[in-house]
Amino acid sequence: MTTHTVTIANRDGATYAVNGRRPLLEQLRDQGVDLPYGCEYGGCITCAAKLIDGEVDQRRQVALNNRQIENGYVILCVARATTDITLEIGVESHDRLYRNPFLDPLKPHELKADIASPKV
Amino acid sequence: MSECCGPGYASPAEAIRAPREKLLYTIAIYTGTGIQRPDYLATVDVDPDSPTYSQVIHRLEMPGIGDELHHMGWNACSSCFDDGSMSRKYLILPGVRSNKLHIVDTATDPRAPRLHKVIDGAEIKAKADLSGPHTVHCLGSEIIISFLGNAKGEAPGGYLHLNKDFEIQGRWESSMGEIKFGYDFWYQPRHNVMVSSEWAAPNTFMPGFDLEEVGHLKYGRELHFWDFEKREPVESFYLGEDGLLPLEVKFHHNPDSTHGFCGAALSTNVIHWWKDDAGKWQWEKIIDVDNEMHPDWPIPLPGVMSAILISMDDKYLYLNNWLHGDMRQYDISDPHNPVLTGQVFMGGLLGKAPKVNGVEVAGGPQMFQLSLDGKRLYVTTSLFSTWDNQFYPEIRTKGGVMVMIDCDPVNGGMKINEDFIVDFGKEPNGPSRCHEARYPGGDCTSDIWL
Repeated sequence: MTTHTVTIANRDGATYAVNGRRPLLEQLRDQGVDLPYGCEYGGCITCAAKLIDGEVDQRRQVALNNRQIENGYVILCVARATTDITLEIGVESHDRLYRNPFLDPLKPHELKADIASPKV
Repeated sequence: MSECCGPGYASPAEAIRAPREKLLYTIAIYTGTGIQRPDYLATVDVDPDSPTYSQVIHRLEMPGIGDELHHMGWNACSSCFDDGSMSRKYLILPGVRSNKLHIVDTATDPRAPRLHKVIDGAEIKAKADLSGPHTVHCLGSEIIISFLGNAKGEAPGGYLHLNKDFEIQGRWESSMGEIKFGYDFWYQPRHNVMVSSEWAAPNTFMPGFDLEEVGHLKYGRELHFWDFEKREPVESFYLGEDGLLPLEVKFHHNPDSTHGFCGAALSTNVIHWWKDDAGKWQWEKIIDVDNEMHPDWPIPLPGVMSAILISMDDKYLYLNNWLHGDMRQYDISDPHNPVLTGQVFMGGLLGKAPKVNGVEVAGGPQMFQLSLDGKRLYVTTSLFSTWDNQFYPEIRTKGGVMVMIDCDPVNGGMKINEDFIVDFGKEPNGPSRCHEARYPGGDCTSDIWL
């Protein structure tokens, strides 16, 4: 089976081997990484991490809007690695995850995928 | 007092004469805070004669992390007053994100509640196709819980039915009709009516509040009237711009009354409904809190009225403006014409009360519970972890607080009590966030009379 290496940038660059079949949250927790999580189906954003390098398949997530995706966020409870990746984990990585919508509105293309309009 | 051996009180009037509360329970969360600990049920000492007054005296941790405890409810209330086989013993604590239901025994040792049973979230999904639990009410000896989504987190969800031994009976409702979203509900059995309100799908509100999604109709704006015995909705009111995010619904405590109220959170309005002389349900907007301008922000700031509460004598309605930072008291003796009788600020984004009793308040007034005699209002500051993180990011390091407001139930008026404050920023495992509160002997949001 193909394995990929996950490097956790904000845990002193610790590395873990994962496969591409199972979600990252499950595989990293099995290897002792202490990660936040909530719903475990891709809907609640609690487990969001920032992807610094590499690629994941997170088609099953429904929590992120397009701005959050553009800023690199991935939902670990459903995301699977498709290459070697580097992540920042935990709330320390959430600096751009939350925004005050009265201060900083989303543009139409930055909404969640089901209601976003194409970028012009 | 009437002689009886069931839980609660014979009537609202008897509830008002009950002994003063000495303990209260509030949930406190670590979900979304960065602290990798379970959420917990905190016991707060509210007996002014006790040496540990105004302190957390016990913490019951849940078995797992990431639940997001939120609202709670009892296994039994005054609706079982004449049933000697029932007692108000168990508090049900749903985890909004984990979908678990925690059944907590508060009677064996009221100061130190213990976990009785956990219903697994996956079992609820498998047996009832529900997720995102919110409001818990007992129905006589049985229990129903509103869930805001199906197993995939899509609206409108439905109602889980548990028997008195906390076994899943399946879905309670016969039909959700055309209802688009779920949230809170309250029922008034003498009129065979239940009213339910609308927040959004779990997949919409759990990740945080994208204001832009309101215009895309991903948040609710309707109230639904149910035939309670047939368990199906029969009439809906489209509230439009006056009723964006209609959240908490409360009937008068008087079981003969048809009057009820809903706080529309984003519109920051109170909606009043009643049955007219011809037997038709009517509604009107009775309170409209104006938006405020924040000096640095382009979009006017709504109050965000996330909760309302009716005093046990049905005389006062309390509401919060989570973003503005004020709690208000209205005299609703004439429910068509409320009169503002009290207002205090605690926290909020307008900078009007950054400190209360020496504690810096992160967040604004959010959930509250009133004593049965109407004199003490306990108020907490956290709304929901992801929403807190958007509007009040400093709550991560400061935690939530519980404040007590002295209320005058005769002449009206509110004043922050200077001797009471519970700073959840100082919890032993780090800053947590307190939310809903309940008293062991019943309170102003638990009891319904048949």
